[in-house]
Amino acid sequence: MSVRYSYLEQQFSGADDLWVQLKEFVATGDFTLGAPLKEFEQGFAALMDCKHAIGVNSGTDALKLAMKVQGIGVGDEVITAANTFVATVGAIVELGAKPVFVDCDDTFCMNADLVEAAITEKTKAIMPVHFTGYMANMPKINIIAERHGIIVVEDACQSILGEINGRKAGTWGSAGCFSLHPLKNLNVWSDGGVIVTSDDFIAHQLRLQRNHGLEDRDTVVVMGCNSRLDTFQAVVGNWLLPQTENIANKRIENAAYYDEHLGPISEIIIPPRPEGYKIVYHLYIVFADDRDGLLAYCQSQGIEAKIHYPVPIYRQPALDYLGNKEGDFPVTDAHTKKIITFPCDQHLSKDQMDFVIETVKEYFE
Amino acid sequence: MKNKIPVIPYVNLANQWETEQQELLPVITDVMSKGHYVGGEQVTEFESTAANRFGVSDCVALNCGTDALVCALIGLGIGRGDEVITPPNSFIASTAAIVHIGAVPIFADVLEDQSIDPDLVEAAITEKTKAIMPVHLTGRMAKMVPLKEIAKKYNLAMVEDAAQSIGSTYNGELSGTIGDVGCFSAHPLKNLNACGDAGFILTNNTKIADRVRSLRNHGLVNRDIVEQFGYVSRMDTLQAAILSYRIRSLDKVIEKRRQNAAIYQKILNREFIYFPAQNPEYFDTFHTFVIQVNRRDELKSYLKSCGVQTAIHYPIPIHLQPASKSLGNGPGDFPITEKQCKRILTLPVNQSLSPAQVTHVANKVNEFFEN
Repeated sequence: MSVRYSYLEQQFSGADDLWVQLKEFVATGDFTLGAPLKEFEQGFAALMDCKHAIGVNSGTDALKLAMKVQGIGVGDEVITAANTFVATVGAIVELGAKPVFVDCDDTFCMNADLVEAAITEKTKAIMPVHFTGYMANMPKINIIAERHGIIVVEDACQSILGEINGRKAGTWGSAGCFSLHPLKNLNVWSDGGVIVTSDDFIAHQLRLQRNHGLEDRDTVVVMGCNSRLDTFQAVVGNWLLPQTENIANKRIENAAYYDEHLGPISEIIIPPRPEGYKIVYHLYIVFADDRDGLLAYCQSQGIEAKIHYPVPIYRQPALDYLGNKEGDFPVTDAHTKKIITFPCDQHLSKDQMDFVIETVKEYFE
Repeated sequence: MKNKIPVIPYVNLANQWETEQQELLPVITDVMSKGHYVGGEQVTEFESTAANRFGVSDCVALNCGTDALVCALIGLGIGRGDEVITPPNSFIASTAAIVHIGAVPIFADVLEDQSIDPDLVEAAITEKTKAIMPVHLTGRMAKMVPLKEIAKKYNLAMVEDAAQSIGSTYNGELSGTIGDVGCFSAHPLKNLNACGDAGFILTNNTKIADRVRSLRNHGLVNRDIVEQFGYVSRMDTLQAAILSYRIRSLDKVIEKRRQNAAIYQKILNREFIYFPAQNPEYFDTFHTFVIQVNRRDELKSYLKSCGVQTAIHYPIPIHLQPASKSLGNGPGDFPITEKQCKRILTLPVNQSLSPAQVTHVANKVNEFFEN
C-alpha cells in the first residue's frame, strides 16, 4: 500500500461543477479584481466572523502587507517563532525590520511565557505563528501586546478555522494572514493568500497596496505593489468555501484516530492537545525516538512521511547576520530531531491510516 | 425608439476565449488533473519556449510584470540609495519597483513619441546612478542605440521595462533582449496574456537568472535551505500552460494589431492628429494605439457617444501622483510628459476588431476635427 502526501488529484478529480463554473468565468474575461473575487472576500470574511477579507497573491504577501500598512519598517523589531516556515521571517526582513525569535513549546507555537523577555524599545509587533494547525496562546499574547502597546499580526497560514475558546485563528490580532497554497486546508490552484481584519482603515490600505496604490484607475496615493489574488482562483475558492468546515472536521477526526492508535506506542509521544483548542491539523506531527530510522522505514514502505522542518529558520544561512547559533532555542532544536509528519488529509482512507499505524508499530517491534 | 449604437470595444477577452476554447480547455484540464499547481514542467516549458523564441539564454517566470522589475533590479545588485533613471510617463509599476527596493527613481522627460529622451538621460546621471530603466511604452521601443551607448560610457546597468512591447524591435533588436535584463508582463490586457497576473524576465546573464529563480521562491536553494531572503513570486502552473499555448499565436496577434494600426495610420488626418511615424527601423507591436490631439476630452466624449471605447494611458504623470510627493518633483518639471498627458488618447486596436470597425473609428476621429 502507498500513502501519498499530496491528495490534490483526488480532491479535484470529481469537480465537474467547478469546471462548469470556471468555463463560464473564463468566457467573461473578468480576470483582474473581478466579481468572483469580491464574492470570495465576502464569503471568507463571513467564515472568519470578520468585517473584511482582502485577497492577495500569497500567504507571504499577506504577512508583508499586513505589517507594512501598520507602519512596520526599517529598524523595527518583530517578535516571532524560531521554528516557523521561512515566509514569516522573509516578510519581516523584506520590510527592513528585524526578526526577534522566541522558542516554541510542544504545541509547535511560540511559548507565550518567553515573549515578554524579548520585547525591547524597538519592538513594534508580535507575529505569533499558528503552526501546523495549532494556535499560539493568543489570550496571553494579546494581554502582553496590550500592556506594551504593540500590535499583533497573526500568521494563520496553516490554521484556517483553528480556534481557542471558540474564537478563530486570525481574528485575535489587528490582522490575520492566511495562505491558500495548494497544500493548505483551503487550497486554490496556485499561490494565493488572504488577510482578514475588522479595521476599516487597515482594510482600505491593504486594498490600495495590493493594486499599485491605485485609489481609482488613474490616481496613485501610495507606492503599492501588484499582489492580487487571481479572480480565476477566487472561483476555485468560492467552490471550496462551503467545504472548509468539513475539511477541518475530517482532519480532526483523522488526527484523533492516529492519536488513539499511535499514542500507546512507547517510542511515540503525542504532542499536548490543550483544552479549549480546536487544532485543524494542517500537519499531523508526533515526536518519535529514532526518528531518522522511522522516517526511512516509513518511506521504504511507501508512506510519504516528512519533516517540517529539518533546519529551523533561525539557523538558516540567510539569517547568519543576526548571530543566532545552535542551542539558542533548545526546544526548537530538540524538535528537529524528533518530529515526523504523517499524511492526515481529508482524502485519506481508514486503511491508509491503519497502514501507517501498523508500519510504525512494526518498526519499533 | 432609437437604434442601439454598436459598441466598438477597447478590450475583448471574451472573444479571445471563444476562438481558443476548444484548444485551450484541454490544456487547462490537463494541468488541473495532474494536481501540480505551483512550479512544475509547464513553468520550465514556458521558460524554455520563451527563451528560445526571443533568443536569450534564460527566461524566469514570475508572478507579474511588477515583480519582474523588482527582481531584475535586485538581481543586478541595485539597492538602497542607488539612483535609477526612468521616464515619468509610464504605468506606476516602473517607478514603484525602484522605490520598493529602496532605490531612488530619477525621471528623464520623453520625446514626442513618448519614449525616454536619451539626451536627458545623460544629463540626469550622477555619481549615484546605477541603472537606466527605459520603458517601451505602447509597444514602441525607446531609442536603444543611444541609450546603450550611454549605459556603456557610464558603466550603468540597463533594465528594459518591456511590459507593453513583447515582440517589438528597433534596428532589428528585440525588446527585452538588449539590456542586462528585460522585464515582461503577461497580464490579461497584454499582447501575450494569461488568465490572471503573470510576468517574466529575459536575460543572457545566467547568474542573474539563478538569483531571480531563488528570489521568487522564498530564497530557497533546496527544500530546506534559505540562502538569502526572497519573495513568493512564482508564475502559476496554470498560467504558464496557457502562455505556452498562446505564445504560438503571438505573431498572429501582433500582425492583426499592426494591420489595425496601419488603417489608423492611413486614414487619420495628420493635420489634427499626431502619432509616431512608421520608420523602417521600428517594428511596433501596438499594445496600445495612442494619438495626441487638442480637445482630447471633447474627442473622448464624442467617441463615447458614437459607441467607441477609448482610454488614457496615463492621465496623471507619475511625478505628480500623490504617492510621489516624497520624491520632490512638481508641476513643470517634465513639461513634455505633462503636455502629452492632456493630449493623449488610446484608440481601440485589439485583435478582435475588424478592418471595418477600425475604419469607422478613424473616420469618426477625423469627422470630429474636420467638421
